[in-house]
Amino acid sequence: MRIPPKLQPQFLLNNLTNMFSATPFQLSCLMLLLSLSISAHSDQNTLWSEHAIPAIPDTLNKQGKLDSATLQQLIEHGELLFDARFTTLDGAGRPMATQAIIPTKRKRAPRTEFSRTAGLDANACSSCHNVPVIGGAGDFSANVFVSEGFVQSDFDTTDPQFSNERNTNHLFGAGLIELLAREMSRDLQTSRIQALQQAKTSGEAIKQTLQSKGVSFGSLQAFPDGTIDTANVEGVDIDLVVRPFSHKGVMTSLRQFTVNALNHHHGIQAIERFGARWTDNADFDADGYENEMSEVQVSALVAWQASLPPPSTLKTDNKPWQAAARAGEQTFNDIGCAACHKPYLLLENLDFHDPGPLDAAGTLRNSEVNGRVYPLNLLTWASTLERDANGHYKIPLFGDLKRHVISDQQVAALGNELLSQRFVERNVFMTTELWGAASTAPYGHRGDMTTLSEVIDAHGGQARPSRDSWQSLSKEQRSNVIAFLKTLIIDPVKASAE
Amino acid sequence: MRPFCYSHQRRYGLLIGLLLSCTTMLSTHIHAQDSDIDYAGDIPHYVEQALEAGIEHQYSGAWEFFVGGGVSSFDCNADRFPDLFIAGGEATAGLYINRSKPGQSLQFEQDKTSSLALKDVLGSYPIDIDNDGHLDLVVLRLGANQLFKGGKNCTFTPANSLWNFDGGNAWTTAFSANFEKDLDFPSLAIGNYVDRTAPGSPWGTCDANELHRPAARSTSQAEDNAESQSKNSMGIPQYDNHQALTPGYCALSMLFTDWNKSGTDSLRVTNDRHYYRGGQEQLWRFDSGEYPRLFSRAEGWEPLVIWGMGIAETDLNGDGYPEYALTSMGDTKLQVLDLQQAIEENRPVYEDMAWARQATAHRPYTGDDLKPSTGWHSQFADVNNDARTDLFIAKGNVENMQDFANFDPDNLLLGTQANTFSEQGEKAGLAKDTRGRGANVVDLNADGLLDIVVVNREDNVSLFRHAGMQHDDGPRAGGNWLKIELQQSGANRHAVGATVSIKTGNLVQTRRVQVGGGHASGSAGFVHVGLGVAERATLRVQWPDEQWSAPYKLFANHHVIVKRDQDTALQWFPVEKLD
Repeated sequence: MRIPPKLQPQFLLNNLTNMFSATPFQLSCLMLLLSLSISAHSDQNTLWSEHAIPAIPDTLNKQGKLDSATLQQLIEHGELLFDARFTTLDGAGRPMATQAIIPTKRKRAPRTEFSRTAGLDANACSSCHNVPVIGGAGDFSANVFVSEGFVQSDFDTTDPQFSNERNTNHLFGAGLIELLAREMSRDLQTSRIQALQQAKTSGEAIKQTLQSKGVSFGSLQAFPDGTIDTANVEGVDIDLVVRPFSHKGVMTSLRQFTVNALNHHHGIQAIERFGARWTDNADFDADGYENEMSEVQVSALVAWQASLPPPSTLKTDNKPWQAAARAGEQTFNDIGCAACHKPYLLLENLDFHDPGPLDAAGTLRNSEVNGRVYPLNLLTWASTLERDANGHYKIPLFGDLKRHVISDQQVAALGNELLSQRFVERNVFMTTELWGAASTAPYGHRGDMTTLSEVIDAHGGQARPSRDSWQSLSKEQRSNVIAFLKTLIIDPVKASAE
Repeated sequence: MRPFCYSHQRRYGLLIGLLLSCTTMLSTHIHAQDSDIDYAGDIPHYVEQALEAGIEHQYSGAWEFFVGGGVSSFDCNADRFPDLFIAGGEATAGLYINRSKPGQSLQFEQDKTSSLALKDVLGSYPIDIDNDGHLDLVVLRLGANQLFKGGKNCTFTPANSLWNFDGGNAWTTAFSANFEKDLDFPSLAIGNYVDRTAPGSPWGTCDANELHRPAARSTSQAEDNAESQSKNSMGIPQYDNHQALTPGYCALSMLFTDWNKSGTDSLRVTNDRHYYRGGQEQLWRFDSGEYPRLFSRAEGWEPLVIWGMGIAETDLNGDGYPEYALTSMGDTKLQVLDLQQAIEENRPVYEDMAWARQATAHRPYTGDDLKPSTGWHSQFADVNNDARTDLFIAKGNVENMQDFANFDPDNLLLGTQANTFSEQGEKAGLAKDTRGRGANVVDLNADGLLDIVVVNREDNVSLFRHAGMQHDDGPRAGGNWLKIELQQSGANRHAVGATVSIKTGNLVQTRRVQVGGGHASGSAGFVHVGLGVAERATLRVQWPDEQWSAPYKLFANHHVIVKRDQDTALQWFPVEKLD
């Protein structure tokens, strides 16, 4: 049960003490205050409530594979939460907890609860995810400052030695991205098991290449005694879990990202990470509110994000643009951009299990609950996905869900961070999916490049040959490439249609 | 303050009454909630399945076997699943080969032809004595102790003669070993109980303890050290001479421990006051090149007189210095080092924090028997993988001791965020009517969950499989975990004396690789660490020669093997058991 601060015993006792010197007017004010705080708590469902988190309909507690109506209800509730401007009455604020993904206590409460650097830095998820519509990307002004939040968690500077400044990614097609990552993780881990079994059977070390959906992730070596050497694994964590979210590619699931972000940006702490089970305290952040975000509420947020339609391709009536885009797409392929920005990856199944199979403790796991399945094929946009001869879905993400070195000595702009993140080195990032790129400027992980041309010029490291080829193109050829990229849009009408 | 007139008093009185009522109601509500949430963390669900797993084994015998009853866990057939060697007392000891599959029910098969099938065994400790990569076994007995040289496929060869080890003829109840500086082979400390041949026995006739040091490395060997290490051509260990550690006070557990982080171990001995006269707990100091001597009162060692039966070590407060749990009859002791005296004056001064941390475990936590309980094996471990250290204690009446609890279930004290402990043995399924002695808290089926094996006097072994964390809908997954195996070449291949440091967020947990402690029960193999909600951890190893490794970046819920000469850790999967 949530007990608002103004109804807590300490508050009441403080006011009781003060009453001995109170005037009748002051006393009346106190009574009014008391009645208001009681009504603010009890009138959560009034039209004028200052709560932002809506009550949860009982129907949302259904588990298993959801039917269309229930899925729709869950999605709608998720949108309400995503757009909710959380208030202190909802538990917004974390006076005694840092932004860290592992519950971490502050030594003392900050002087100001909101801060554009260490957070709280937003009122709603949609405060940043709104370009071109809710669920979209963010302007430079919506950048976040990512730090571990363990030591020096209350940094008040944008100096990059304390945090990595990141632009807001869009979430359209995020459910499909996570499904792709799950299938790729499954493939890689299956390869690992097969290598171990071969090594055991043969009595010899086995070198196993790692590949999934046409993307190579290096190799591993398996030994007869069951050990694995992962020194040559590339572009994915050595546990062979493809983590598709964030610029860095370090978040496993929408669920994990949601739980992290709720705490970081809003001070809303999900029970599944910050609850008494793990912290001995139902109000870990000491803001006076217990159990701020339930499992089903997180599920609603996940369902809404997972159900966002994938970005689309602009079908322009403009003939010159059509021609330029066609030529540009060919050039895009010819100069090697498509080696990483793969036009599509094949997806086998549209059933989105929540929780998913890959999260660890601290994010709800399928080994803890009877979860839900969101059949994304029930959604209107699913019918627009192209399929191959095997019935697999072509997901046109223009990415490979793999991490790469993206800067070098000469081309270093994208290697501008000073802090590694979650074991991933500072100059290594996941290939940005280009779908929706035309609708989500600015570019680069810091969002400090205003045009597509600028960010292409900034590709170094493993992308250097393609970038050099791009620079050697004629002016017209480069224009064609941009014409093609400018067709990769988030259509506001389609985006809001679901 | 202004005068408080009567009219105000009346009006305010009503309001005060109203507010007080509200306050009381709210307070009551909150306190009721608090009491409802006795322990909010995960409680393991243990399922006893010794017989189903193929272990039918009792520890039994006359007075000499009222104590002892140990179980060793170690891998003797290179599948990285711990096998068990269980003392039998007057009955035959048994070697049980682990046939379990990952995460499934436990299965063991007794090796009935094993050379380890001896009588009069009280306990055992595994250690690679001759640096050949196979774990050897030190078997503690009533009579001659026996060293066994381990070989392939759980073969063991008696090695007292080979290694010139004098097994003696005492009543041996405790053991510890370490690798001292400049020695290629381990030093073996033997703890003996009552000298039954002495006049007046058993009262006041505690036997001397023993220190068996290997022959020092020869000059030529030292010069060829590098070559020796690469070829493992250090020869064979020789324990020609041994020294008495007197006085002995009827040791029931001993442990080489670096209590002051000096880089040199001291030997901590816990003793049974039931038989000694003028005795106390002991801490032997091993100054370089000198004969071991006891820390004295003048040096800060405070006399402590208990029925000491088991030692467990961990770093509870994250200061890098070890704390100790000492089992006894009645209160368990939880000793925390006075850091200032340790650092500034090298004084081993300890404060007992058992009461403050709710770890006394002084009487049964369930049942009607309010008499003091009797603690034996103690072991720190994280049984619910919440990144907080828990404490297991095997309990059991000595033998019809009427002043002590007869029904005396084993304890499972779960660590809390407030650095206290919460007794959850009954809810966890450990409250059996048995008389526990030695034990091991170890993952027997490679699922990252710590199972528990307890040797019971005059009763079958308890084999508690950890089936997950308790939940209304059945056992569920718990926190994240890591298991770490250390390897180095040359001497001391299993890195005895190494410190493993695991960092997650601001939390640093340490584990030390040791041989000794508990009650007559040793273990070797993976070091287990609970990570809570952390899905990554950074590991550093301080190897036995005090050199620190570079950091290893590890992902949770994996077995990893850290080889000293390799920059990346290997992962291990239980391929042996794959279908």
